Amino acid sequence: MVSKADTSVTAPTPSPGNLGTTAHLSFDRARPSVASPAVAGAGAFTHYSIDSRFRDEMFRSDGTLRTATEQLGTALNNATPEQLMQLQDGVRRQFLHEGITFTVIGAEEAAEQIIPIDCVPRVITASEWDHIDRGLRQRLRALNLFLKDIYHEGWSLRDGIVPHDLVLGCPQYRMEMLGTKVPHDAYVSVCGTDIVRTHDGFAVLEDNLRVPSGVSYMLACRAAIKQAMPRLYRAHNVREVLPYPARLYSQLASLVTWTQTPRVAVLTPGQYNSAYYEHAFLAGEMGAELVEGRDLVVHDGLVFMRTVTGLKRIDVIYRRVDDDFLDPVTFRSDSLLGVPGLFHAYRAGNVVIANAPGTGVADDKALYAYVPDLIRYFLAEDPILDNVETYLCRTAEGLTYTLENLDKLVVKEVGGSGGYGMLVGPHASAKEKEDFAEQLRTDPANFISQPTLALSRATCFTDGKLEPRHVDVRPFVLQGKNDTWIAPGGLCRVALRRGSLVVNSSQGGGCKDLWVINEEKRDM
Amino acid sequence: MLARAAADFYWMGRYFERAEHTARLLDYHLARLVDTPADVLAHGWQALYAALGQPPPVSLTVTDDAEAFLVADAFALAAYLIEDPANPNAIIQSWINARDNAKQLRPWLPVRVWTCLNDGFFWLRDCDFSEYWARGPNRLPAGVIERLRLLSGVIEARMSRDDAWRFLVLGRFVERLQRQTSLLQSWSRPSDGDYQMWTGLLEVCAAYEAYCRKHSMVVRPAHVRAFLLSNPEIPHSLSFAIRRVQSLLSGIDPAGGRYPLRAPHRHALRLAAAIETDLQVPIEHVDTWDFLADFAEDCREMHNLIIAEYVDYPLERGLPS
Repeated sequence: MVSKADTSVTAPTPSPGNLGTTAHLSFDRARPSVASPAVAGAGAFTHYSIDSRFRDEMFRSDGTLRTATEQLGTALNNATPEQLMQLQDGVRRQFLHEGITFTVIGAEEAAEQIIPIDCVPRVITASEWDHIDRGLRQRLRALNLFLKDIYHEGWSLRDGIVPHDLVLGCPQYRMEMLGTKVPHDAYVSVCGTDIVRTHDGFAVLEDNLRVPSGVSYMLACRAAIKQAMPRLYRAHNVREVLPYPARLYSQLASLVTWTQTPRVAVLTPGQYNSAYYEHAFLAGEMGAELVEGRDLVVHDGLVFMRTVTGLKRIDVIYRRVDDDFLDPVTFRSDSLLGVPGLFHAYRAGNVVIANAPGTGVADDKALYAYVPDLIRYFLAEDPILDNVETYLCRTAEGLTYTLENLDKLVVKEVGGSGGYGMLVGPHASAKEKEDFAEQLRTDPANFISQPTLALSRATCFTDGKLEPRHVDVRPFVLQGKNDTWIAPGGLCRVALRRGSLVVNSSQGGGCKDLWVINEEKRDM
Repeated sequence: MLARAAADFYWMGRYFERAEHTARLLDYHLARLVDTPADVLAHGWQALYAALGQPPPVSLTVTDDAEAFLVADAFALAAYLIEDPANPNAIIQSWINARDNAKQLRPWLPVRVWTCLNDGFFWLRDCDFSEYWARGPNRLPAGVIERLRLLSGVIEARMSRDDAWRFLVLGRFVERLQRQTSLLQSWSRPSDGDYQMWTGLLEVCAAYEAYCRKHSMVVRPAHVRAFLLSNPEIPHSLSFAIRRVQSLLSGIDPAGGRYPLRAPHRHALRLAAAIETDLQVPIEHVDTWDFLADFAEDCREMHNLIIAEYVDYPLERGLPS
């Protein structure tokens, strides 16, 4: 052996948006002569145990396959361990060769890591998905109206729907946005909402309205799985997510009023950002420019980028830079990532920034508790998707309840993300709980708590075995001038460590493909 | 095209060429280990390091250069140029730099080009040089050359001939101009009677067969110099490289080849003219050393002009009229 690690694979590695033709893996190729139905705890699922506390996405509580997962479960059951290993290795290698990476903030070693992918897709039926789809549309409409309201008339604050201080004291609230006209009132053009499933159904865990990431992993997962198991994919009549970049481009372009051929740019903090792969991927797939702050310049209220033949105007900026760093003249003066004068150009209506500055106030974890009320207030409708029960530690009752039930609750910082700044009570040590209690008493407004959810579990292939792992899903919603589009699927995040409830990639999580299947199936 | 992206393409091309140039020199030199006397080898190492503009590894503390190369073992000297993290011009470092550039260029770079580059990086990173050495000292540089040729093929097949491609290839040829000039300078020092050195130079420049077809197998230093300086048909000749640079700059210039030409384009034309006119007299009468010294300076200036014209230009010059 010459190589320490055999990475010299020559298997075709098509792009997520451009699938090549390649031989698929053997377990997917042959129709089993005798299809033995899978049962949890037997066959390939020998190590698979059903736990009645958690909804299982593959099996019913009696251990038999659900109707939607019959074909997939049977195919897995008929596969040999070697075939499953080959399947897992194939999708992992595709990620490796395409460099589908993320960066762990603060990690000293191997800063750039390949995101772990699991080869077994999660399956959701079209009717279940349609419920989510309706709920997300409703939620985004309400949040856009809320954002417009707090930066203009402020009726929801006057009517006491949301406490004044919660909004005005939120670090993500931007005074500079007061009275600013946002093109077509689309404050949030791209939204990623985390949804979990329990025995009670689907519920929203949190909204990500600033710079939601993960869509490239969703697309990469789909491309890898489609290539690895094409027959099963076809047989399941899966709804397609691959048009996402084209839809994103058209939704962003639709927000421009002054030209029919807008120039769109993705603004990235640079290659050391944890989601840089995604920024580059989206720019490439959209045919947009991938720019950093240093590539842009504002002149006469217009935004230009430096090209080899001079300055060219930019019409839309899909920014992946936080508000704070967007413009050193308006926001943080020490920002090296932004563009001086950008906000001035935005206020003058000469450039579209998506998502609009100041949207972060609506994905604050404390405000999340009020979203159902906002839906009722702005839309006069009942929420289609439930919220998870949330206790605001900023209130005396919420704080008392949280402190008394710390061992049962998940406590989160209101501005935290990525699985950082949270305590999972049932899994925390006495010392961790004690430390967190101290933080709660010191700064209660900075925390919320929620019951520890019984996240559903999906089948994963880990350590050479099929086992259940906890999952959630982050669907992506696009808002344009006139319409809303939701990718029929999403980034399905998996807590790859046995028993773990934390699905963030920075905390040992991975991803898997999510199949939204139409009920009528095709032949294999 | 975004100026920063153009610079990344340009630098990526330079790093590819740098890695290939080093690998070609090593491939030739290591293949001769088996049947070359130690003192000749030491002289070869000295010329090789001089051609690359590299000081010997710091571990060689002997003051006299020639003696240092005589006492050093070939493995250490080769490893320093291939995989030593302390050497910023090592082949692995060039590959890492090219990959870093490519990471910034993912939206412009065809996926196949990226995966080919990325695969090559993993291969080189995970190579055990000592194991390769045991199988044949030149196996690893030869492997690097093969990988780079594969990459070049994928680039040629996959990239459209737009500014991205032009800057990438421009980087390659500007680097080639600098490296070849340095190589020819270092080869101008040995005595004219050293037949093996001149043959070696032709082989390193992949020009030996073409030379034999044109001049027979009798290797004359003057012919070799003329061949590698002014023959426009030899890919590693200065004439060939400067013509490519000129043609690429013509494509990048928005006005094409029409007046007024941009500064780098004018400079390239001047260099091409210098090769054609200064070397028209019989090469024996040309002071090659002086010519190459001036040419090396002009090549560095070429790089500065390209960056100043297309990347770091003053903003007021770039504003739309």
